[in-house]
Amino acid sequence: MTAASSVKIPVTVIGGFLGAGKTTYLNHLLRTGSARYAVLVNDFGAVNVDVGLIAQHDGTTMTLTNGCVCCSIGGGFLDTLGRVLDDNIPFDHIIIEASGVGDPWRIAEIALVEPSLRLNAVIVVADASRIADLLVDARVGDTVRDQFDRCNLVLLNKVDLLNRTALDAARTTVAALRPDIQIIETTEHTLPTLPDGEVKATLRFAATAVDNRADHESAFRRWSYQRSGTFDGARLAAALAALPPQLLRLKGPCRIADDASPALLQMVGQDWALTPAPADMTAQDDIMLVGVGTDALPDAGALDAILDGALTPVSQTPPTTTDLNRRQATFIL
Amino acid sequence: MSQDTIVFSARKIVTMNPSRPSATHVAVREGRIVAVGSFDEIVGASGVRVDDRFKDKVLLPGFVEGHSHIMEGMMWSLPYVGAFDRRSPEGKLVKGLSDIDAIVARLQEAEAAMTDPEAPLFAWGFDPLHIGSVSLTRQDLDRVSTTRPIMVVHASFHISNVNTIVLQRAELDRTTNISGVVMGKDGEPSGEVQGIAARFRVFRVLGTNPLSGNLTADDVNRYAASSCIQGVTTITDLHNDLADLTIEVYRAASRRDDFSVRLVPAMASVSHSPEQGVEKIKALKASNNDKLHYGIVKLVVDGSIQGFTARLRWPGYHNGAPNGLWYIAPEELPSIVAAYHNAGIQLHIHTNGDEATEVALDAIEAAQIAKPLPDHRHTLQHCQMADAAQFKRMKSLGICVNLFSNHVYYWGDSHYDLTMGPERANRLDATGTALRTGVPFAIHSDAPVTPLSPLFTAWCAVNRISSSGRVLGKETEALTVEQALAAITINAAYTLKLDHIVGSIEAGKYADFAVLDEDPLEVTPEKLKDIAIWGTVVGGHVREAPRA
Ligand SMILES: [Zn+2]
Ligand SMILES: [Zn+2]
Repeated sequence: MTAASSVKIPVTVIGGFLGAGKTTYLNHLLRTGSARYAVLVNDFGAVNVDVGLIAQHDGTTMTLTNGCVCCSIGGGFLDTLGRVLDDNIPFDHIIIEASGVGDPWRIAEIALVEPSLRLNAVIVVADASRIADLLVDARVGDTVRDQFDRCNLVLLNKVDLLNRTALDAARTTVAALRPDIQIIETTEHTLPTLPDGEVKATLRFAATAVDNRADHESAFRRWSYQRSGTFDGARLAAALAALPPQLLRLKGPCRIADDASPALLQMVGQDWALTPAPADMTAQDDIMLVGVGTDALPDAGALDAILDGALTPVSQTPPTTTDLNRRQATFIL
Repeated sequence: MSQDTIVFSARKIVTMNPSRPSATHVAVREGRIVAVGSFDEIVGASGVRVDDRFKDKVLLPGFVEGHSHIMEGMMWSLPYVGAFDRRSPEGKLVKGLSDIDAIVARLQEAEAAMTDPEAPLFAWGFDPLHIGSVSLTRQDLDRVSTTRPIMVVHASFHISNVNTIVLQRAELDRTTNISGVVMGKDGEPSGEVQGIAARFRVFRVLGTNPLSGNLTADDVNRYAASSCIQGVTTITDLHNDLADLTIEVYRAASRRDDFSVRLVPAMASVSHSPEQGVEKIKALKASNNDKLHYGIVKLVVDGSIQGFTARLRWPGYHNGAPNGLWYIAPEELPSIVAAYHNAGIQLHIHTNGDEATEVALDAIEAAQIAKPLPDHRHTLQHCQMADAAQFKRMKSLGICVNLFSNHVYYWGDSHYDLTMGPERANRLDATGTALRTGVPFAIHSDAPVTPLSPLFTAWCAVNRISSSGRVLGKETEALTVEQALAAITINAAYTLKLDHIVGSIEAGKYADFAVLDEDPLEVTPEKLKDIAIWGTVVGGHVREAPRA
């Protein structure tokens, strides 16, 4: 319709939790890009280009000598993006940094409905040393998982901080979320240039957050295992070895017989470790493990039975009323 | 007493000053209260002039609205199509609309009055929840016009409905595949749009966004007029980027003698890095005048309960909806809080769900341990789901709270049935718990989310009744009328650190009064919201509320 719709400007959205390295990546793109980029960032202070590169700086917009501009989003993202689109000379590429707790896909959708734009890529940057913990974090796990829902490239960053085993574990965790996705391992010195592609909306999905999450959950299966009591150390090792390979990871606090302090069990693939539980870790039960597997993961009952075999026999005290209530509540709501 | 002193006499003066609860005369000079007392104490043989225009009225301290937004002033340039009656800044009672036909009729009326055929028609306040969950389709709006773009913003401010011409111009059709464009039964967009992408596209083809346009003097004047109508003499604008243009509009308005409200803007933390924010607040504070009070900063941690975007602790939403959204990451909040706290700046922190409240409490606790700030009065805003344990933490950390009592009326039924379930809905906006725990608290409207009217807010906190008539936790969480009046005057002033100059009628404070036809302490509590408000006195200037 409009004149601009014949030359669509590619849009790339960069998401990922705080500290993953989004801004480092943006800095890298601004410094090394040969095209004229418009970069929209959340926090201006974090952008770090050489002073020699800055041609003009007016508080919310920074113009670089290579023609790129960098705009801080502040409170007015839509206004800022509108100004970028209205620029006299169309930009070669628009790069938008999503907030650390935002869902990059929500922003990417703009490029699917604005005729002058096309969606080039949605990239999630993940800190390899933290991502496995973040994905199961009680407070932000859901937020972080949602960021991967519809991205089409993951930069698994800071891989220089990990040994190969830990790195493989991080990779497996991300792959479990999105088995179809390309994962590139990066460090702050080996960041890639922008990919060149086109993303189209493929799935029709309803406009409610609830449906959206449901469809995300179906990509893998979760299993949670809660018991009061303790594991027998030796039998636990055997039980973990007996768990099926469809279980990709298992994590949570537990208690080992004859050990006064709670432990943290972490298992990725066949590797597992018991470490002292962090002091701030609180659990409603002695044992509260959460597992994630492929969609071929066997029933919870079968998995429960394997771990139940490792429990220390207890003098038969019936569960208290509060225990029962809590269990019921878990399933009702 | 000096010559330029005026004494107002009234049927009764409810001072909200516990050491002199009631009086009949108040002497005013240079905009401030000289003395409060009886005829003998104030006038006696002095021969001072007595202004008896309020001799049949009841004076209260001017109400303090501790959480509302300038958007209330902006919205009234547009037609209102909500479910409940509201009072316009002209003083007109704008009737609530109970069905789609009535909404279409009001829009037709507004459309007919427009002269420019190309100008878009915006309206606000559509509230499907309270009119039987009906939807407003593009076909409904096409009955208003097929040629003029129309956009109706929901009461939630997050969802809108547009007519077919808008969809066509925006090129949104059956092939559109994004989450915020809702499809109708016929497979075409229904006209309901939400989310950042759909909003961007629609505002781009409309060429204007009524919710983000530049602030004008008219907007501020409407806000002041609505304040006067409701007896409000101190009002917040509790989330503002404070762009240069806004600062200039506020400066000019507040310096006018006839500007009839004290304005307390809160800087939105999201618009600045904490370092810039600290500097900006320092500079702005230096420009304060008697009717403009910069100094506070607003943080928004989560979303809303009724929108299922608030962050809840276990067991989460009653209907099993997934947990809500963080607007600030829990691990980032402590450093933002510390930056302002260490600079001595008071924070107002929006937390609707109890998980967000917990994260805010943790952040303030860490800041207090690292660098104690006596009397910081950081205030949790809304804080609707806090339990007794969280109130006890507020108490020990010196935190204040501003509770959203109007929610009991407007969303109490949703909270009971869907979001929180009976137990938690009964202690929604727990004013009784705040009292028992000794946490300083105010109550608020969050206008324009719910109507600006402190007497109505007080009525909600006293009666705790939902719009369907369900009573929620009245035995345990309701306030007495006197307690509720304190929460809309002196205690609200306390949460803004302005209680030394406003919030009660006593010597030395600004002469700010709400002028009422009846004594709220004498009417039956069910009638509290129906007391007629004659107008206000601000800094000794008498202002009769507009009536239309
Ligand atoms: Zn809020
Ligand atoms: Zn608000």
